[in-house]
Amino acid sequence: MHKARHLNVSGILINGAALVLVLSYALPYMYLLMTSIKPAADVQQIPPSFFPAVLSFENFREVLRSSTLPKAFVNSLTVAVLTTALSLAVAVPAAYVATQYRRRITTLFLLFALVTRMVPSVSLGVPLFQLLKSLGLLDTVPGLVLAHTSAAVPLALLLMSAFFEGMPRELEEAARMDGCTRFQAFRKIVLPVMTGGIAVTALFTFITSWNEFLYALLLTSEATKTAPIVIAEYNSVYGLAWGAMTAAAVLYSLPVIVVTLALQKQIVGGLTFGAVKG
Amino acid sequence: MAGIELRNINKVYGNRFHALHDLNFDIRDGEFMVFVGPSGCGKSTALRMIAGLESISSGELRIGDRVVNHIDPKDRDIAMVFQSYALYPHKTVRENIAFPLQMARLPTTEIDSRVNEAARILELTALLDRKPALLSGGQRQRVAMGRAIVRKPAAFLMDEPLSNLDAKLRVQMRGEIASLQRKLNVTTIYVTHDQVEAMTMGDRVAVMKGGVLQQVDTPQNLYNRPENVFVAAFIGSPSMNLYEAVLNGRTLTLGSNSFEIPDRVFEYRPSLNGASNRQVIVGFRPEHMNDAAIRPSSAEISAPVTLVEALGSESLVHLNIDAAWVDAGDPDAVADIGDERAAVARFSPKSTVRAGDIARIAVDAEELHFFEPDTRTSIW
Repeated sequence: MHKARHLNVSGILINGAALVLVLSYALPYMYLLMTSIKPAADVQQIPPSFFPAVLSFENFREVLRSSTLPKAFVNSLTVAVLTTALSLAVAVPAAYVATQYRRRITTLFLLFALVTRMVPSVSLGVPLFQLLKSLGLLDTVPGLVLAHTSAAVPLALLLMSAFFEGMPRELEEAARMDGCTRFQAFRKIVLPVMTGGIAVTALFTFITSWNEFLYALLLTSEATKTAPIVIAEYNSVYGLAWGAMTAAAVLYSLPVIVVTLALQKQIVGGLTFGAVKG
Repeated sequence: MAGIELRNINKVYGNRFHALHDLNFDIRDGEFMVFVGPSGCGKSTALRMIAGLESISSGELRIGDRVVNHIDPKDRDIAMVFQSYALYPHKTVRENIAFPLQMARLPTTEIDSRVNEAARILELTALLDRKPALLSGGQRQRVAMGRAIVRKPAAFLMDEPLSNLDAKLRVQMRGEIASLQRKLNVTTIYVTHDQVEAMTMGDRVAVMKGGVLQQVDTPQNLYNRPENVFVAAFIGSPSMNLYEAVLNGRTLTLGSNSFEIPDRVFEYRPSLNGASNRQVIVGFRPEHMNDAAIRPSSAEISAPVTLVEALGSESLVHLNIDAAWVDAGDPDAVADIGDERAAVARFSPKSTVRAGDIARIAVDAEELHFFEPDTRTSIW
């Protein structure tokens, strides 16, 4: 009896702590969501209310009617997809070689990739600006893709290295014994086995580019402006379009949420179970 | 099918670690050869070099009549079963077994018939459409075997394929693999650290230690005529008891015990004749020691009993023999319960000796082994 009560109390405490943690993550987003569905007049009322008094989609209609946001969405999507593809094309084979054929130089290579993550983006922004300017790639999709790829590859490399470290090396060896060249073993066995890891890496790379603000601010002007820049511009010298800004932010967050939910199985599961003893 | 020849094979890694020293032997066509030895002895390295997964630093490796030193694994016509099975997790059992045939670009009908045949032999027919994750350990092991036999290769290489199974299944699969190999009559190299597997499965066994081949012989010869102290102790369970002793004429002195060696021993070990105060290492197996109260002998010693392990069919009696104990050099040797230097005797379960007794032990002196103390090689 006493024990049951003790368990109950600790259960309440644990659940309470979990709730606080979840709320601390969810509340800002919930506030964003609630604000976006308030009528424009209610958005800046004093004192502010959390829940809308009346449900209204006028903020969404406004941002979708404007010409800048849909175009920025297309730019963001194009840049993020191309960045993801390019980053994976570089990072997956590089991480594979660095982990499976480990030498001192490959360890150094991974360490160096980690170091590049430690340099603040703002320090790299100016040299990147100069570089892209000299290549004539300022305010172009390829230019921004290259800049985002330079930021995403180290992350992709480290993530893929961790996944490859967990893959039994015998899989490639078995494939080579079964008649594959090294490249065939990589393509026919290693890549399909790593689908889960690649999906997770793709997601993180996509998010890195999708959410990226600083390079987009420095390296684009009109033609290739991405959505985060446009969203930030709702707060301008002419005033703060709070309702439109939250509606745009909600719309912008949806693809990431959808993709995360779609890839949930791969993210959680991975596919290597059963490869070894299990 | 083909034989395999190793000529002066060496493996030296980049850090100058010399993993294999001048490996020399032939594996006959259709033979079941077992590589056995403690961990780090180089048995898996040797297998991987034959597979082509490790480069050969020097020496010559032949499979059939081809030198294969620089030939890719895929072109060596050999199949390998890995310790972890290395099944492709995204493929079904059928696709796993068919994969090497697809890589060899065989016609679909041929692939289907071979996969079905392999599945029938290995009793996998009902599991063909399952993924490896849904199989038990034993079933996965069989799929790995299926992937190897379906190719009809020149040789099978097996790297500790049973070590992930539980003890009961291991005994069952041991028999299945041995009988499958005899049925298919394909040259097989089987790596294990388990000397029972080596003795029960192999036509011949290569015992290795520290990258050096110690002896290649039939299981019976390894047991009866070990060439050195290491092989003597490694083969047989519990291990052979090894002590320093002195041979004077026909009298062997082992600590405070002395007994006469029968004439027959000098007939098949002539170089022991005429010994005068000759230092030797003497070895006697647990099964060649009996309770003198039950089976008296002309060669008897006495020693205090430190522990009795009653196993039902026999009793393992640990004895504290007062002679200098000899370390056989097996890094994996598990210290016996109590004193690792205790001699172990295999007594009849009828024996009434108890821990603390001073036991009289009848030694089967005709089964004694003698080794040189300096070279640790057998004296014949």
